[in-house]
Amino acid sequence: MTFFRPFFRRLGGMAITLIAMSILIFLLVELMPGDAAQRVLGQSATPQAVAALRESMGLNDPVWVRYGRWATGMLRGDLGTSLYMRGVPIASIFWRKVGNSLVLALLALLFYVPLSIVFGILAGVKAGKIIDSIISFFGLATMALPEFVSGIILMTIFAVKLAWFPITSVIPIGESIWSNLNILVLPALSITLVMFGYVSRMQRASMISVMNSDYIRSAILKGLPMRKVIFKHALKNALLPTITIIGMNMGWLFGGLIVVETLFGFPGLGSLTMSAVKTQDTPLIEVCVLFITAVFVVSTAITDLLYGFLNPRIRYPGGS
Amino acid sequence: MTNKPILDIHNLNVVYETPSGPIVAIRDLALELNANEALGIIGESGCGKSTLSYAILDYLPSNARRSGSIMFNGEDLLLKTEKEMQNYRGDRIAMVYQNPYSALNPSLTIGEQLDEVTRIHRGFSRTQARKESIQSLQDLSLGEAEGIVRRYPHQVSGGIQQRICIAMALLCQPDIMILDEPTTALDVTTEASILDIIGELKERHRMSLIYISHDIGIVNKISDRIAVMYRGEIVELGPQEELFNHPKHPYTRALINCMPRAGVKKETTRLNTIPGYVTRRSADERGCPFASRCEKKNAVCEEKYGLREIESGHLAACDRAYATDVPDKSTFAPLIPKANARPGADQTDNASSGIEPGIGPAPLLELHEVYKYYKNRKRTVRALDGINAKIEKHDVLGLVGESGCGKSTMGHLVAGLLEPTKGNIHFDGKDISLTWKHRSRDTIRDIQLVFQNPGRSLNPSFSVEQILDRPIKKMLKIRSRRERRAVMINLLKKVDLGEEYLSRPSTRLSGGEKQRIAVARAFVTSPRLIVCDEPTSALDVSVQASVLNLLGELQEQSHTSYLFISHDLNVVNYISDHILVMYLGRVCEYGLRDEVVNPPYHPYTEALLSAAPDVNPSHKQKPIRLEGAPPDPSAQIVGCPFAGRCHKKIDGLCDTTPPPLKRLSETHYIFCHLSEDRLRGVAHL
Repeated sequence: MTFFRPFFRRLGGMAITLIAMSILIFLLVELMPGDAAQRVLGQSATPQAVAALRESMGLNDPVWVRYGRWATGMLRGDLGTSLYMRGVPIASIFWRKVGNSLVLALLALLFYVPLSIVFGILAGVKAGKIIDSIISFFGLATMALPEFVSGIILMTIFAVKLAWFPITSVIPIGESIWSNLNILVLPALSITLVMFGYVSRMQRASMISVMNSDYIRSAILKGLPMRKVIFKHALKNALLPTITIIGMNMGWLFGGLIVVETLFGFPGLGSLTMSAVKTQDTPLIEVCVLFITAVFVVSTAITDLLYGFLNPRIRYPGGS
Repeated sequence: MTNKPILDIHNLNVVYETPSGPIVAIRDLALELNANEALGIIGESGCGKSTLSYAILDYLPSNARRSGSIMFNGEDLLLKTEKEMQNYRGDRIAMVYQNPYSALNPSLTIGEQLDEVTRIHRGFSRTQARKESIQSLQDLSLGEAEGIVRRYPHQVSGGIQQRICIAMALLCQPDIMILDEPTTALDVTTEASILDIIGELKERHRMSLIYISHDIGIVNKISDRIAVMYRGEIVELGPQEELFNHPKHPYTRALINCMPRAGVKKETTRLNTIPGYVTRRSADERGCPFASRCEKKNAVCEEKYGLREIESGHLAACDRAYATDVPDKSTFAPLIPKANARPGADQTDNASSGIEPGIGPAPLLELHEVYKYYKNRKRTVRALDGINAKIEKHDVLGLVGESGCGKSTMGHLVAGLLEPTKGNIHFDGKDISLTWKHRSRDTIRDIQLVFQNPGRSLNPSFSVEQILDRPIKKMLKIRSRRERRAVMINLLKKVDLGEEYLSRPSTRLSGGEKQRIAVARAFVTSPRLIVCDEPTSALDVSVQASVLNLLGELQEQSHTSYLFISHDLNVVNYISDHILVMYLGRVCEYGLRDEVVNPPYHPYTEALLSAAPDVNPSHKQKPIRLEGAPPDPSAQIVGCPFAGRCHKKIDGLCDTTPPPLKRLSETHYIFCHLSEDRLRGVAHL
């Protein structure tokens, strides 16, 4: 029972965060200049028509009434209807895009997590040696390149010159992402390039500090071979900070890929958000931003719980 | 004993290549270790003691170069590859380290960490290895070994962690066990029982030991022979008793005389200090390594120098040990008589403080029935359980007890870092049972703190000036920069540091200098009480001596009182006027220093004293060993808290009824069921 207590406390905290964020998002979007009814009807609409639409959309109600209506809708799973595509329920496009983004995020994770951990460990164990310098330099270089630059480089090499993958990541109408998996590779690689430097540097730093610890000295002077020292004694401790970093970036990976998705024309959450902002489609903006916030909150919570689970000092509090 | 040594080190040099040139860590070192022999190595930190042990095991930083030879059972370890060394490490030569908590991997169970030793070296199966691990824990009288192997290191106490480390070292029954300050982080009582175990295991397994420590008392207890190291060389080597009774090298003598020990008190003696500190040694430096700090050096020390046999088996690297042209101030049982033996009888006081000489019946600080409970959902820890205590004006109250007895909690309450759960603290008649936030400025000014680890209590990004400036500005309200500077220079002078220190960053100071700055900072406000929480525990013995001297002198000059917290009875004994012995958040005994320790009355005081390592080797006493650890401070205890471990427990009384207060004199009282005659009897056993 005591094991679950932090879990429940965490859940309460998450709920409060989400409620606060939803209010903030709603107010910010409402504060955006421009009148929703006018936008729907266009500049040529008569003032009477606009006023009638305002009335029918409930825009004349006080702001907390509108928030209440919106928030209860969200809780019931009703995401509302798009302003720009008049009458289209948001849910019908939103979840498909989320699904696409999820597949892209998973593939990117699959690419960059093992890669940066392995090279981070290598650089940490061989700290100060040539191999470390090479890895660290490469990490820094890719970290410094903005993703639209590295994305274009990737496109030029793999799509234009080698023609291994399509230039854009558009899914033809009527097809799902599963029949077009090859479009995922370039965006995922470009995310990998961004994350690699970051995560591998973290892994390297934590590996170095662990390798200098007293318990690694104990392990070496027990006569263990280096392989055992690194994989059994060092890794378990050196992975903890890296896991935190990866978890914290889940939110970004999920909803913050606006640049990458736009560059490749990938039909995901990022490009959806982008187009919602461009068309001032307020209900859609609200849904997108709220969802991205939720992913942030949930992934941070999961990371914390996972950290507690992997760290015996938290899992079994002192009994001395 | 076979005449062939098991370890024979010849001409060993360890040199670190650094960007600023090579630095010699070990120079031309020769050492033999016989089978089943315990060799103690002493010296200040930075003298190469640990480097020597890591050189044997080939665990040195990559910029280190070794030369010479280390013959182990006829094979030169210097010629072994990394792969071959793995067969020696943990199998033939095992090591135990200073800090057991950090030496064990926090993410693996104790069992996993033990098992892998025999699995690697003996090729045991999982179940075989586990059986062996449990057996080895049981050999170290750790009951409940089956439970311990399933736990993680943080779930057992420091004493048990160190026993686990020793058990781990013993798994393959090594020929040599190297112990690097294995008890430094532990309580005296735990230390005593671990030393007993080590001595016993050495005989049982016919092992050889290399025991490294800065504490001469401990090395003395365990060693057959002792080597004194200074700046990478052995300057003296001899049989234990011989070396202590007739130390030859000035460094050995200086080191021995630094230690506070039974019978050495601040009224009569200033501790010997060694001027200067251990410096790095460049490759081209010749002559006696100690010359720059030696009071007897002359031209010969630079030219003619080397280790010579003085008597059979006793080697020393000094010709001038008995030279008479410089007066000899370091003899054993030594003691430099103090100029001003009577406290308070001298010293025109420093003008700014305005402190009246502390005479008068009212104590400076009183604690009335003070309780401090730490509560969380699961349990309530009774850190202080109804403490009554007082500190007289111009007096040093020494606070002793094992860790977890509430010493530090009491210090924190007095300093206002914590608030008592119940009870009152009166300072000069005022109730100050508040945290510092709610205390008046005057009270804050009057009560200051000196912490254990000056490296951590001083801001590393501040210079000495910045560290001292803030309290002067805030507490003394001195606006003018020049005046503040004058105050600082005056303070530095008090702690024997020059003006040039003002601009130094605190990271560039040695441990002793840092603690002097911390002391200077505490004295900024001319406080009337300073809480010293283990102020010398993190320091080398020679530095400890100089800080203790300084604290003693300042106390005498400024009429300040100290609440002096330490786990080291010899230190408390040296500096205190009164002593308060605590156990599990309660008072055991209080009295004038000599009433409490000389001879001890309370069985717990007696046990603590008997556990404290004695520097004098001829001083043999019947040891009293406390079994186990103090009880869980969250448990409700009826009767005497010490009853469970007391060697004089009266069954049916001590464990059911709280001990009554017995007044043995005007100034001395004790909580114990034993009759007064028995208590006095304790003293004469």
